[in-house]
Amino acid sequence: MNVVINPKITVDYERCTTPFDCKRCIRICPPAVFVVYDIESHRGYEVDKKQPGTYKMLPLYRDKCTGCMKCVEVCPVDALTVKMPEEMLT
Amino acid sequence: MCRMCDWLGEGQIWYKNPKLHANRMYKLREPGRKPQESLRGNIVGSNLHEALEAKANGDLATFNRLIAEKNAADARKVGAQPIPLNEAIEVIKTLQMPVAAMMCICRKATRAEEETNLNEYSCLALGTGMFKWERWPERYRGGVEFLKPQDACDWLEYWDKRGMMHLIMEEGNDFLGGICNCDYPDCNPIRQRVDYGLDQQLVKGEYICEVDFKRCNGCGECLGRCHFNALKFEVTIDRPSIDPMVCFGCALCQTACNRGAINLVPRSAYPALRNVW
Ligand code: SF4
Ligand code: SF4
Repeated sequence: MNVVINPKITVDYERCTTPFDCKRCIRICPPAVFVVYDIESHRGYEVDKKQPGTYKMLPLYRDKCTGCMKCVEVCPVDALTVKMPEEMLT
Repeated sequence: MCRMCDWLGEGQIWYKNPKLHANRMYKLREPGRKPQESLRGNIVGSNLHEALEAKANGDLATFNRLIAEKNAADARKVGAQPIPLNEAIEVIKTLQMPVAAMMCICRKATRAEEETNLNEYSCLALGTGMFKWERWPERYRGGVEFLKPQDACDWLEYWDKRGMMHLIMEEGNDFLGGICNCDYPDCNPIRQRVDYGLDQQLVKGEYICEVDFKRCNGCGECLGRCHFNALKFEVTIDRPSIDPMVCFGCALCQTACNRGAINLVPRSAYPALRNVW
């Protein structure tokens, strides 16, 4: 069977701190690989999406990533890398 | 009849049982049980992330094991189910409890959507519990709008026209909690069933759709409406073709047809479909 291997995606969370406010990679990805979620949801309290660290972005559906690099190009803080595993490149 | 009908339907389709239209506030939480915290428990805490990582790394054995485990756990719970527009409208009209439009939590996660008014909201919450929505402003980000039954029905029709199918969901295992307007890939239950085989958290609908080849003129209006890959165009006979084993009975193709050429057929009408959920 033809087993598909997808690129590795790394997110530098020191750089990507307000993904729900920024949302560039989340919106541009053709197969919708990313999800965004709030870190803490407390009673009576709405988090400020502009405050760093309130939301986190995760490439949950990485099995759909084709390595097209659109997210890497659109990220304003260079927080993303998308790379095929070394052994696949030969 | 699906497992929810067996558990909750008392002889009829479960979402039509008026006992599930419970006009009460949320139950008290079990002592010692923590509140669910947004998506943490849902996506990151689940083994879905681990399963999809395995798949992306080419480790299909681990992927299949984790998916089977999740299905076994989900099978013990009430799942979400597609409901045809006319039945969703019937539920709203007989409900006798508050309905409120709100932001869709799936779309917030998959496309970072921020729905802040009635033109954008795409989910419908049901029940008196909604009167307490302000206690969880992050969960109900963007606010909610309480609707009169007729307005809620019009609003469902609006989303149906735009191409969203409708999913009915329960709350607390014993009352109807919401009707969401859903599409692939933004809706988590749809994508996770279609692409990864999570076949218990989203259960197929009580019906399938069937094309009446005599009424149909092959116009193709229904094409592109199916979120489940069940509807294709069969060039040989110049008619659309629905695979009944794949169809979820959402009726989105039916509502697109202005010749009345697509019929809803109860799943129980055909012996080989009775157990296809
Ligand atoms: S064929 Fe029609 S009823 Fe069946 S899943 Fe597709 S759109 Fe829904
Ligand atoms: S919309 Fe109706 S008439 Fe047109 S192709 Fe589909 S089933 Fe046939």
